[in-house]
Amino acid sequence: MMQRTYLHPLPVRIWHWINATTCVLLFLTGIQLRYVGLVNVVPFRIAVAAHNWMGFILIANFFLWLGYYLSSPRIRTYHAELNPVKYFVGSIRQTIYYSYGIFRDLTPPFRPTVYRKFNPLQAMTYQILMLILLPVQAITGLLLWNLVGFQRMVSLLGGVRVVDTIHVLIFVFFAFYIPAHIYLGTLGRTPLTHYKEMITGYEEQDEKGAEAAE
Amino acid sequence: MMTPMNICSWYDSPPPLESLTREADQDWAEGAVSRQPLVRRPPPRRSWRVSWPRPPREGEGFLAVFTLIFALLAGFLTPTFVTPAVAAAPAASAQACLTCHGLPDLKRTLADGTTLSLHIDAQHFSSSVHAALDCTGCHSNISLTNHPPAANPIASRRAFSIEMVRQTCRNCHAAEFDRWNHSVHAALVREGNPVAPVCTSCHSPHTMTKGASQAMATVPCRSCHSVIFNAYATSVHGMLRSQGVTAAPLCFNCHGAHDIAVASAGVGRRDACLACHVEAVASHRSWLPNVELHFAAVSCPVCHTPQAHRVVNLILYNSTTQEQISRPVGIPEFENLMSPTAQGTGLDPNTLVTLLTTLNTRGVEGKTSIQGRLEVSTGVEDHQLTAAASAISDCSVCHRKGAAAFQSVKVSVAGPGGIPVNYAVSNAVLTSIMSIPSVGGFYAIGGTRIGFLDVLFILAFVVAVGWSCLHLIVRWGVHRYRNRIAEGEEKGQG
Repeated sequence: MMQRTYLHPLPVRIWHWINATTCVLLFLTGIQLRYVGLVNVVPFRIAVAAHNWMGFILIANFFLWLGYYLSSPRIRTYHAELNPVKYFVGSIRQTIYYSYGIFRDLTPPFRPTVYRKFNPLQAMTYQILMLILLPVQAITGLLLWNLVGFQRMVSLLGGVRVVDTIHVLIFVFFAFYIPAHIYLGTLGRTPLTHYKEMITGYEEQDEKGAEAAE
Repeated sequence: MMTPMNICSWYDSPPPLESLTREADQDWAEGAVSRQPLVRRPPPRRSWRVSWPRPPREGEGFLAVFTLIFALLAGFLTPTFVTPAVAAAPAASAQACLTCHGLPDLKRTLADGTTLSLHIDAQHFSSSVHAALDCTGCHSNISLTNHPPAANPIASRRAFSIEMVRQTCRNCHAAEFDRWNHSVHAALVREGNPVAPVCTSCHSPHTMTKGASQAMATVPCRSCHSVIFNAYATSVHGMLRSQGVTAAPLCFNCHGAHDIAVASAGVGRRDACLACHVEAVASHRSWLPNVELHFAAVSCPVCHTPQAHRVVNLILYNSTTQEQISRPVGIPEFENLMSPTAQGTGLDPNTLVTLLTTLNTRGVEGKTSIQGRLEVSTGVEDHQLTAAASAISDCSVCHRKGAAAFQSVKVSVAGPGGIPVNYAVSNAVLTSIMSIPSVGGFYAIGGTRIGFLDVLFILAFVVAVGWSCLHLIVRWGVHRYRNRIAEGEEKGQG
């Protein structure tokens, strides 16, 4: 018998899909901007405008996410695991599961709960992503959007090339993260399980999974 | 050895003038009015000599001297300055001077062996703005007792011109002189440049007419800058001006009339353009992303002279003063680091970093950084501006890998008078990861992207997609294998 857990409240789902859409569009328009000549899907000017608008939407959306979690007890899901041994062991188990257990149809080592919905690998990734990479990407994007207006700050950071290099390095991270995230989303009970969860908000767990969660 | 690429490229046909001594220039720069000759040299052995066209006949000499005395006396008793606006004909005393100086072959040999024509064309002079002035108004050091002088006090034509500027022009044209004194021309004169113009280089005092400096045919700039003027004449500005559109700029509208600054310094060009094209920022904003940045980092002719060869100018500037640094003197490392430019290879990315490190550790006040600007490569191209409809508006002309705009790179410092001294740089500095600390101030999306980051990007994407595909295939294979086993077991049980 399946157990349903309300893991993803509506604000989180709205944030997630806006975030996903803008991230993908920013990634694609970023490719267009960086590789003009090789990629010519839309004119350069339109790519610039789209990239700017998507950036602003992403920043606004970030504050939606931040506001929701700061005002919700669910913020515990982003609390760092302060016990390194526990964190390390959990990460190793999760890695072994993805590398071996998932092929043997073994029970996942981690089952999400309302206040702890990320496995150790997810927790580390999302903490770095949401608290470091996304803000840095937003700030460097803002600086690049108006280099003259933010001239002093750009100079303090070492110049436009330094700012752009940081922006591109995080873009490189997203070049890894986006395909990996889309694929890892298919590793649920069925390939579409996790995608449905991010639409309905409910995660369905069989008894075996529910026991693991406890 | 250092080899500046283009110290003074805008002098295309300099007139042959003699050089100055720095001692005299220093005196001048401080605004001191000296009656001493600019160039102090040993007295010439040969006394001064006027070359008469023919020996004076009996009675002519007496008549000439009598006329001169009368004229000089008349000059002393009348005001010595008459507003040119009311001038119509040469003063009566000038007629006397012209008795001798109207002779076409009147000339004298100067101390340096060259000759100076003493001929004044009466017809031209009578129509000049100075016609109503008495001769002694300008040549105030001439009196009956010393004219013609027994000894030759003029060292050279150049020295004579400068002496007249100091003693004469500034008396009436003090404001113009002061502005000129702060110009690149004056700076070059002070540096000892033998062709840098003084007042009389542009304004012939005996023939100049009102408005001559403001007409295309007679604008004085073209005499030295003829190649650039010809380029201007075929530009949209020159074409309009020649058609009588006085709103179209002539040289002085952009460069100033007397306080002429180095045109290529910083955003000077942009500011000159915006002085007339006040709507340019707003009109560009309707289609050009990041307008302010483009206006700060891209010189107007880069787009408005479409056929021009473009060059990235990496300006060495002082972060504290925000001004271009002067060419370092007395730093041997600078000379050594610049040696590749002599071989035509240009500075590589590592050398450029070393150069900055050297400059910042040799006691130079303030931090030296690099500010990049995209410019056209020559002054001629700067003046070949086309109509706005022909300007480049396709972003991909520059914002793509291998764009022509980023194939030529130079480093520049300020030379004498602020004129840039350029050194060749390898274009690899624009795309090398090693250049991040040095060329931090210049970057064009797509056009100067760092190759190493492209490798990282491809690697990250391929690893993510590859790992996902591999994992998917293994999942699918194992699932299929397990299903077969399960089917086999079911059949076996059946």
